[in-house]
Amino acid sequence: MSIMEYNGGSVIAMVGKDCVAIASDLRLGNQALGIASDFEKIFPMTDRVYLGLPGLATDVTTLREQFRYRLNMYTIKEEREIEPETFAHLVSSTLYERRFGPYFIEPVMAGLQRLPNGGYKPFIAATDLIGCINFAKDFVVAGTASSKLFGVAEGLWEPDLEPEDLFETIAQTLLNAVDRDAYSGWGAVVHVITKDKAIKRVLKGRMD
Amino acid sequence: MPDTAHEQPQQRQFYPYTENGGTILAIAGADFTVIAGDTRQSEGYSIQTRYAPKVFRLTERAVLAVNGFAADGNMFVKKVKQRLEWYRHAHAKEMPLRAIARLIQTMLYAQRFFPYYVNNILGGIEEDGSGAVYSFDPVGSYEREACRAAGAASSLVQPFLDNQIYFKNQTPAPGTPHPTYLPLPDVLAIVIDSFTSATERHIEVGDGLEMYVVLAKGRSIEELADVAGVQELTTRADGDRMFVIQRELKKD
Amino acid sequence: MDISFALTGKGYVIVAADTTAARSIVKMKTDEDKIKVLSPHLLMAFSGEPGDTLQFAEYVERNIRLYQIRNTYALRPPSAASWIRRSLADSLRSRRPYAVNLLIGGYDTSTSTPHLYWVDYLGTLSPVPFGAHGYGSYFGLSLLDRYHDPEATLEEGLDTLRRCIDEVSKRLVVSPGKYKVKIVDKDGVREIEL
Repeated sequence: MSIMEYNGGSVIAMVGKDCVAIASDLRLGNQALGIASDFEKIFPMTDRVYLGLPGLATDVTTLREQFRYRLNMYTIKEEREIEPETFAHLVSSTLYERRFGPYFIEPVMAGLQRLPNGGYKPFIAATDLIGCINFAKDFVVAGTASSKLFGVAEGLWEPDLEPEDLFETIAQTLLNAVDRDAYSGWGAVVHVITKDKAIKRVLKGRMD
Repeated sequence: MPDTAHEQPQQRQFYPYTENGGTILAIAGADFTVIAGDTRQSEGYSIQTRYAPKVFRLTERAVLAVNGFAADGNMFVKKVKQRLEWYRHAHAKEMPLRAIARLIQTMLYAQRFFPYYVNNILGGIEEDGSGAVYSFDPVGSYEREACRAAGAASSLVQPFLDNQIYFKNQTPAPGTPHPTYLPLPDVLAIVIDSFTSATERHIEVGDGLEMYVVLAKGRSIEELADVAGVQELTTRADGDRMFVIQRELKKD
Repeated sequence: MDISFALTGKGYVIVAADTTAARSIVKMKTDEDKIKVLSPHLLMAFSGEPGDTLQFAEYVERNIRLYQIRNTYALRPPSAASWIRRSLADSLRSRRPYAVNLLIGGYDTSTSTPHLYWVDYLGTLSPVPFGAHGYGSYFGLSLLDRYHDPEATLEEGLDTLRRCIDEVSKRLVVSPGKYKVKIVDKDGVREIEL
């Protein structure tokens, strides 16, 4: 029995042209027994930074609360919202604080980084459960369906997808990956973030 | 006299199996079948060879891909070929594909309590001229399917095939249902993409790609004409035709 | 071996738990109350490691009461559940964690909505329309999937609960005999006989 697989669940994030997407399944289980089909694992940190927390469900809630607190403190002290890359380091150091008694979460982040010229640059990253950051240029995956997500994403993803095409790509990747994973699935949710809006879509998926 | 008082009890055991990595894949079309496998053979982090075929021609119209423990795989293929030769001598004809599938089941189940540590995928042309894929577990449980991936990167490839071959999670536009079988060029493209993806993300997959293509009797070979690296393996002029396509898998 | 069920309906939450206190193969007691009344509109069914269960339930009970005394009003169900969850999550990484699973049912008097939370000993919290702990979950959840209706009247809700309890009695090898059933709605908490 692996702690990382106790509750199940998976998250994926992808880069597109001037946009990013992050998606997850909705299952909460106790090993093989399904408990809830509306357990969200992706949380908006700011309007332009989203955080996915696949792993042990108790730590999903604990870390969400922890990051809300730390982000509020950051915003008050800095008098501005956090940038995705800075946030990735906040996530990393928060996890590394518990180096020898970790939170059993492998966070995935997606956001748009503000540039000096006023534009935005897509940003995604993921870390392991002790905060080692992976700044990927294409896509990042985590959770019980990670190997399946890697396989499908590697086949479907291409550079510079427009928001609607990126949505289709990430949705298809997620749905087909979780359908081959007993611990993930039970519905899915996709967030597509562009410079002027963030769209959330709840997907119908196989419920078995 | 040596002092033996401090010696700990020792335990020895012989484990007769190992995993040699690699991935195999087969997709059936309406009147053709593609059976593919990479050619890397590894044990742990060591590459034993960059060219060890996992896909074997059995008859004019049957190809067997074997993945798992290479020694068992090679021995198994040898024994299947031997049984097919005996069949030829006894009946003066080639064994049909569905019969080969059943033969493989009995041969695997005969080793139920000391199994061949292999996943088999059998592909070829049925007697009715249709493309067919049969996939087996190590003890002989089998099923005819339209496509199947097995081996080290099967968890990466199979969901991709679900999406691209079975059109899972895709809704067709009204009045334009999804095709049951894909054309050969599309299938070849999907096989190549699958292995490129697996090579990218799985350390045990890479080096070379061997794709066997079996075409039903009388089928046009036009679609294979301008494919790079094709070699014809057909031995009889009036039957089904077999080709092998060899490719390098990306090295970076 | 503890079994607990809870389900929401139109303006109420039903919480049920068996009343057996067992040690090894012996039933020590058959009238144990495993549902704490935390505040006028909040119920908590608890199960798990004997000793931990009551200790933790009383700790929660007193802290919820303390909040009420200090602030003159009670915590609303989402806040109470959140605080209880955090207590368990912190306990999980302490020297001696509590092994207690909970079903927290409450009625929010300010929004007039029933709330139910499924909480396990790890501190996993999930708002649910119905929930179960123990062996009851293997029998009850599929029945609740089929028969639960968030708009059901109290009598319909109790019928659904009866289905669950009857199924456990029928199929579980060592099924408990009696259950305590408590309801929370706009009028507060009350206990009923099934």
